[in-house]
Amino acid sequence: MSIVIDNITHIYHRGTPLETVALSGVSLVVDRGEWVSVVGHTGSGKSTLAQHMNALLLPTEGHVSVDGVGVEENRARLREIRRKVGLVFQYPEQQIFEETVFEEIAFGPKNWGVPGDEIPERVTEALSLAGLGETFKELSPFHLSGGEKRRVAIASVLAVRPDYLVLDEPTAGLDASGKRELCDLLHGLKQKGTGIVHITHDLELAVSVSDRILVLTGGKSRLWGTPGVILEELTEREVPGLVMPPVPLFSGRLRELGMDVPVTWNAETLVGAIERCVGK
Amino acid sequence: MRFLNHLTLGQYVPTGSVVHKTDPRAKILATLSILTGVFLADQWQVFALWAAFLTIVVVMSRLPLSMVLRTARPVIFLVVFTAVIHLLFSQGTPIFRFGILKVTEEGLRMAFKMGSRLFLLVIFAGTLTLTTSPTELADGLEHLLSPLKPLGFPAHEMAMMMTIAIRFIPTLLDETDRIMKAQLARGADLDSGGIIKRLRAFIPVLVPLFVIVFQRAEELAIAMESRNYKGGAGRTRMNPLVWRSRDSVAFLTVLVVTVFLVFLNSRMSLV
Repeated sequence: MSIVIDNITHIYHRGTPLETVALSGVSLVVDRGEWVSVVGHTGSGKSTLAQHMNALLLPTEGHVSVDGVGVEENRARLREIRRKVGLVFQYPEQQIFEETVFEEIAFGPKNWGVPGDEIPERVTEALSLAGLGETFKELSPFHLSGGEKRRVAIASVLAVRPDYLVLDEPTAGLDASGKRELCDLLHGLKQKGTGIVHITHDLELAVSVSDRILVLTGGKSRLWGTPGVILEELTEREVPGLVMPPVPLFSGRLRELGMDVPVTWNAETLVGAIERCVGK
Repeated sequence: MRFLNHLTLGQYVPTGSVVHKTDPRAKILATLSILTGVFLADQWQVFALWAAFLTIVVVMSRLPLSMVLRTARPVIFLVVFTAVIHLLFSQGTPIFRFGILKVTEEGLRMAFKMGSRLFLLVIFAGTLTLTTSPTELADGLEHLLSPLKPLGFPAHEMAMMMTIAIRFIPTLLDETDRIMKAQLARGADLDSGGIIKRLRAFIPVLVPLFVIVFQRAEELAIAMESRNYKGGAGRTRMNPLVWRSRDSVAFLTVLVVTVFLVFLNSRMSLV
């Protein structure tokens, strides 16, 4: 049970002067209950890759399948794939259109044919998961704060109970506590078996929350592995457009100076290792 | 699938061709001349010659013909609708009848004439925007309208409004594309059902789009004001327009073609 992206290429405006190769030979596997982050700078192809995961874009070359259902050869089942893979776009609050929060969150379940008597339960569940109380139900989503609007938009995707959740830069514009709360919410979903795909340019955040990370540059896959493997690789060679987070950068410099500390993104681990080294 | 991939309306595609390098004033005047000529045309041979001239311009501009033709996509319905109305409701000698509907010889001629005219008008105007950046277009318009300034005509403001409108067409198409995808990802069905169902299905796209449009407009106004924009008075130019001999050649060539085709059309109408 997984999303499999196998050696895909995507070309926009093919055969015109605007032709752009957005992805080239990218592969990725996301299992249920796993958190995969896709990291890259602006224009690296992250958002294009995200849209392949729920069949909003079809690859120019290569193959995409969700739980064994191939996207290209099963075009009649695209809606089924979209139901399985919830996609939260960047600034999802901009997709809001209903008069009340309840109606906004119920939009997805209604579209997927969820029985009417089940919808209130789904809305309540999604509101709770998104950290919003039931009091929000009857409010106009247009009168909420930016952060609350984003939670409503995410809840509207969660109400469909997707097996995988793909989020394109979900923390963009959020403060530190907002980021932490959102990551806690996603971590909870992961524990319940949802596969999380987190599209971000924030390597520091990615290494602290992900099981595996894909690094994209210029539409090509540069690195793929666990956060530890990625950090080891990044200390060995430079990846254009990616800036090493300060903690692993510092630990790498200490190793170069001969100190026996691990390459880590965790500040507490690094402090502990330094303390051991200096014999405190 | 990219849902609005096929629309190129208002888009500038730089290829560095001689058409692109021509002064925008020459291109605007040439386009006005062409539009007048196409508007006056009513003989199929003249329409064919205008189409041939368009092909030459497109080849010189180094744009793919398919991309230029796509500029007419948004008005295809209007072109077909106009042609069908003229085909079915023009008086004249019937060619064949189908129930209460009859197709006349005059109707057929009128349908071809109106359809070709509309199609060519849109394509020629589209070629202008494909080969002229919004900034150049605004500069050119402002220069051409500046003689009216003493009469109180807001030449700069008109040019600026047109530039912003043209500049925002691709942006709004991108926004529409993004919102459509977001709603499709939530299970919205935008493609099936009758016209009423489809229109209702578009509410989840239109409401967020209107919100974004007003937000963008407000942000743009604030951004312009914050950079001391107060209209055209006292503004300098980074790249002042320079009319070269090749611009005169380009404009005069188009003018000669227009005069010739208008003359040819009038002679053929008399026969």
